[in-house]
Amino acid sequence: MTEVAINPVNRGWWYSVRAYVNKNLVNIFAGGLFLVLAIFLVYPIAAVLIKSFWGDDGLTFDFYREFFTYNFYYWSLINTLILGLSTMVILLVVGFCFAYLTTRGPEWLRKPLKIVALLPLAAPPYIFSISLITLFGRNGFINNLFNFDFNIYSWVGVIAAQCLAFLPLSYMMIENVLNSLNPSIEETAADMGATEYKIIRSITIPLAAPGLLKAALLVFVMTIAEFGNPAILGGRTPFLAPDTYLMITGEGDFNMASVLSVILILPCVVIFVLHNYVLKGKGYATIVGKATPTEKKEIIPGIKIPFMIITFAVGLLVVMSFVVILVGSFVKIVGVDNTFVMDHIVNTQSNTAIYNSIKVSLAAGFFGAIVGTLLAYVIMRGKFFGRHAMEMMALSGFALPGTVIGVGYIIAFNNPPFLLTGTIWIIILNCVFRFLAVGVEAGISKLHQISIEIEEASADLGADFLTIFFRIILPIMFSAFIAGFIYTFMTTMMSLSSVIFLVTPGFDLASVYIYLTAQLGELGLASATTVKVIFIVAIGMGILKIIARKTGFDVSKKQGA
Amino acid sequence: MENRRSPMLELVDIHKSFGDVEVLKGISSSIEKGELLTFVGPSGCGKTTLLRIVGGFTPATSGRVILDGQDISSLPPNMRNTKMVFQSYALFPHMNVRKNIAFGLTLKKWSKTEINKRVDEMLELVHMEGLGERHIDQISGGQQQRVALARALALGPKVLLLDEPLSNLDANLRVVMREEIRKIQEQIGITTIFVTHDQYEAMSISDRLLVLKDGVIQQIGSPVEIYEKPANEFIAGFVGYVNILNGKINERANGSNTFKISTTYGDIEIDSEREDIGDGDEILVVVRPESLSLKKPNSAQKLNGIKGTVLTHMYAGNHSKYSVKVGDKNIVVDQHNPKDSPRYQHNDTVELLIPRNAHILKRQ
Ligand SMILES: Nc1ncnc2c1ncn2[C@@H]1O[C@H](COP(=O)(O)OP(=O)(O)OP(=O)(O)O)[C@@H](O)[C@H]1O
Ligand SMILES: [Mg+2]
Repeated sequence: MTEVAINPVNRGWWYSVRAYVNKNLVNIFAGGLFLVLAIFLVYPIAAVLIKSFWGDDGLTFDFYREFFTYNFYYWSLINTLILGLSTMVILLVVGFCFAYLTTRGPEWLRKPLKIVALLPLAAPPYIFSISLITLFGRNGFINNLFNFDFNIYSWVGVIAAQCLAFLPLSYMMIENVLNSLNPSIEETAADMGATEYKIIRSITIPLAAPGLLKAALLVFVMTIAEFGNPAILGGRTPFLAPDTYLMITGEGDFNMASVLSVILILPCVVIFVLHNYVLKGKGYATIVGKATPTEKKEIIPGIKIPFMIITFAVGLLVVMSFVVILVGSFVKIVGVDNTFVMDHIVNTQSNTAIYNSIKVSLAAGFFGAIVGTLLAYVIMRGKFFGRHAMEMMALSGFALPGTVIGVGYIIAFNNPPFLLTGTIWIIILNCVFRFLAVGVEAGISKLHQISIEIEEASADLGADFLTIFFRIILPIMFSAFIAGFIYTFMTTMMSLSSVIFLVTPGFDLASVYIYLTAQLGELGLASATTVKVIFIVAIGMGILKIIARKTGFDVSKKQGA
Repeated sequence: MENRRSPMLELVDIHKSFGDVEVLKGISSSIEKGELLTFVGPSGCGKTTLLRIVGGFTPATSGRVILDGQDISSLPPNMRNTKMVFQSYALFPHMNVRKNIAFGLTLKKWSKTEINKRVDEMLELVHMEGLGERHIDQISGGQQQRVALARALALGPKVLLLDEPLSNLDANLRVVMREEIRKIQEQIGITTIFVTHDQYEAMSISDRLLVLKDGVIQQIGSPVEIYEKPANEFIAGFVGYVNILNGKINERANGSNTFKISTTYGDIEIDSEREDIGDGDEILVVVRPESLSLKKPNSAQKLNGIKGTVLTHMYAGNHSKYSVKVGDKNIVVDQHNPKDSPRYQHNDTVELLIPRNAHILKRQ
C-alpha cells in the first residue's frame, strides 16, 4: 500500500462525486436497467394480465368465464396443445434420427445431414407455410403433378410446417446431448454383448433422457407460441396465437385478446419453471477424466435404414422448400405458369417493406446489444439484491410468446406517459426486449471466462471504473456484443408474431408483408420477399463474421443459441 | 503345471494408420496365460490404440490378433473373450452397482439366481460387499474403479484389458489400487494387459513390460531385464537414472566373453555374452549409479578404475549421492553408506570403479 495518503477532501467536491460514482457505478447502472426492464418487459405483461381481469366495470372474471363457455375459445386452447404435443413427439423422433446419424452415422452422411437439419435457421419459420402451399396447395405443384386431392390447409399442413420450422432447435439440443455421452459407455455395452438396438434402448436413450426431455419441452413451448404457420395454414381451425391477433384486428376486443394471451403464457411459464428449476443440472455427467477418441463403427442396417429414410424424407422437404421459394420468386406461379418474371423481385411494396425491416433490425440489434452487454456485466459483477430476478427478467422475453408481448405493447404504450403506438420505436423496443436473452447469455459466458482479477488488477494500477469499463471490459466483451447484435438483427428481420400487432397501415415490415401476401395467395410476392430476407440475414451474418474475424473474436459458436 | 509353450494371446505384425499417420508400425508380441503385461511408453505412442485393437474396438490396418490359438482379428468386441476396462470406467450412470456388474450376464440370459450369485462373488472379489445397491454417483473414485473391474471380470474373460485404470485416482489411492489389482489378477490368474504411461507403475505391477515409442516396440522384458539390460539408450533412460560412457571395442579375446574397451577416460574390461558386438564397434557402457563404487586413488585395484573429481556430495542417510567429474562428463554415483564408510568431499580426487558386469550397447 502506498504511504502517501491522499485526502479526498483536499481534492474538492468533484473528486468526491467521482469517487462515489466510481464506487457505485455498477449499482447505478443496475438501477437504470431495472427501470428499463420494468417498463419494457414487466409492465406490458402486467398490462395484459390486468386487462384480462379488468372490464369497463372494474374487476371481473367474466372474460375467463366466456373463454371456457364458448367452444370457439376453448377449442383454440385444446388445438394449440394438440399441435404442440404432436410436433414435440414427431420432432423428438426426427431430431433423434438426425442427431444419431450425424454423431454416430457414416462419415459421408454427417456433414450434409447436419447442414440440412440446420438449414431452417436461415429462414423465418413461416417459410414452410409458403413452400407447402406452393407444393401441396389447391394449385400446388405436387398436387397437380400427381393429381392429388390433398388439402394443405389442415392439421397435417400446420404440423408439417411446424416440424420443419423447429427441426433445428430439436436437432441441436439432441445432438448436444448425444455428443456429451461418453462413447466408452456404449462401447462397454457392446463389449458386454449388447446389440445396437439394446444399446440404444437401455443405454443411449436412458442416458440422454433428461436432455431429450428438455429438448421436447422447448420444442413444445416454441410451437405453441408460433404465430405464422397456424395463421396461414390453420384455415378454420382455431389456435391461440392467431386468434389473439384476430381478436384485436377483427373485433377490437382487448380483454378477450388478453385472456387468450394469459392462457397461452401459462404452459410457457410452467415449462420455463420446469426447465430452469426442476430439470436444471439433471443429466448424467458421463465423461470422467479422458475420453478416448473413438473410431466410427458401422451402424447396423436395421437401424441405419429406417433412420435414413426418415431423415432423407424430412431433409428432402427442407431442401425442396428452399428451392421452391427461390424458384417461386422468379416465375409466375410454380408448376402452373412457369414463365420467368421479375415482377415479384422488383415489387416496390416488397422492397419498401424490406427497407423498413432493415432499418428496424439494425436499430434493434444495436440497442439490444448495448442493453444485453450492460445487463450481463451488471448481473455478473454487481453485488446488489435482485440480481437473479434481473437475469430472469432479461431471459423471459425469449420464453414468452411473441403474440403476448405484442398485445402487451399495444395495451401498455397506447396512452401517455408512454405513448408509442404508431411510431417505429414501439417496434424497435419490442424487438430489443424480446430478443435480449442471447446477448445477455453470451455476455455472461464471456464474463465467466475472464477473471475478475483482471479488473481488480487494473483498478490496482489506478484505473477508475469508467476507464476499466471502456478500456478493459468492452473490448473483452466485444464478441458477446457482436453475438447479441447478430442475433437480434436476424431475429428481428424474421420476426412476425409480435410486430404484426405494432405495425401501422402504410408501414409494413418484410415479415408482415410476407404474411399478408401469403394469406392472399400471392405466393410469388411472398416467396420473393422471403428470399430477400434470407439473403439479407446471410449478408448481415457474413459481414459481422468478417468484422469478428478481423477483431479476433469468434462469434460463430453463438449462433442460433 | 500350465503349458507355458502356447501363449494366451499373440499379436502378429500389427500396423495401424489414422489417415496418413502410421501410429503402430508392426507390433508382434505374445502373452502367456496368467501373465500381466504392461504396455508402457510416452503419451501418444499408441498404447491405447494397440489395446483397442486387441479388444476389437478399433480395426488394425493389417496384422492378426490370436487368442488361445484362434484368429479373432475380424471379430467384434462382444464376440471376443477379452473384456476392457476403460480409462473413464464407462460405468452406466443410470444403474446401480449390481446392475452394472450384472449387465453382461443379463445379456447372456443367465438365470436370476446365477446372476445374483455371480454378482456377489464379484463384489466380494473387489471388496465391495454390501455396496451393491449404491448408485454410481454415491461411491468413490476407487470404488468406481472396482466396479468397472468387477463388471469386466463377471463374464469370465480370457484376457482382461485395462487402459490407464489408475489415472483418475489421487496419488495414494493409485498405489493401493495398483496392489489391489495385482492381487486380484494373481488370485484368479487372469491374463491381463495393463496400459500406463508411468514407468514406476509399470515396473512394480508387471510380469513383463512392452515398451512402445513412436509405434515401435523398444523392448519386451521383465522389470529386471528392462532395468539392468536395457536394449537401447531410450530404455536405459526410461526408468531411473543411468550413466552412459562412450567407448570402442579394442579386442574381444577369441572365444572368451571379455571385451577390452577403450574410452577417453582410460581402458576398461567388461564381461558380456553379447554376440552382436565385435572388434572396432562403437559402444555405450551403461551403468546405474548404485553399481558404481568410489575408491581412494592409488588403491591396489588398477583395472576398471577411472580418475575423477568429486563435484558434489549429498548425504542421504542410507546412501550418499556423489556427482563426479570425469573428463567432460558428470557421473552420478550412489554409494551404500554403512557406518564409518569412507566419504569424499568436494574437489577430492577419486577412482571410479566400473563393474565388470556393466551393460554394453551398440551405438546407433
Ligand atoms: N480415432 C483417431 N483418429 C485419429 N488419430 C488418432 C485416433 N486415435 C488415436 N489417434 C492418434 O494416434 C496416436 C496414438 O494414440 P493413443 O491414444 O494410442 O496414444 P496413447 O499411447 O494411448 O497416449 P496417452 O498416454 O496419451 O493415452 C496419437 O498420435 C493420436 O493422436
Ligand atoms: Mg491412452
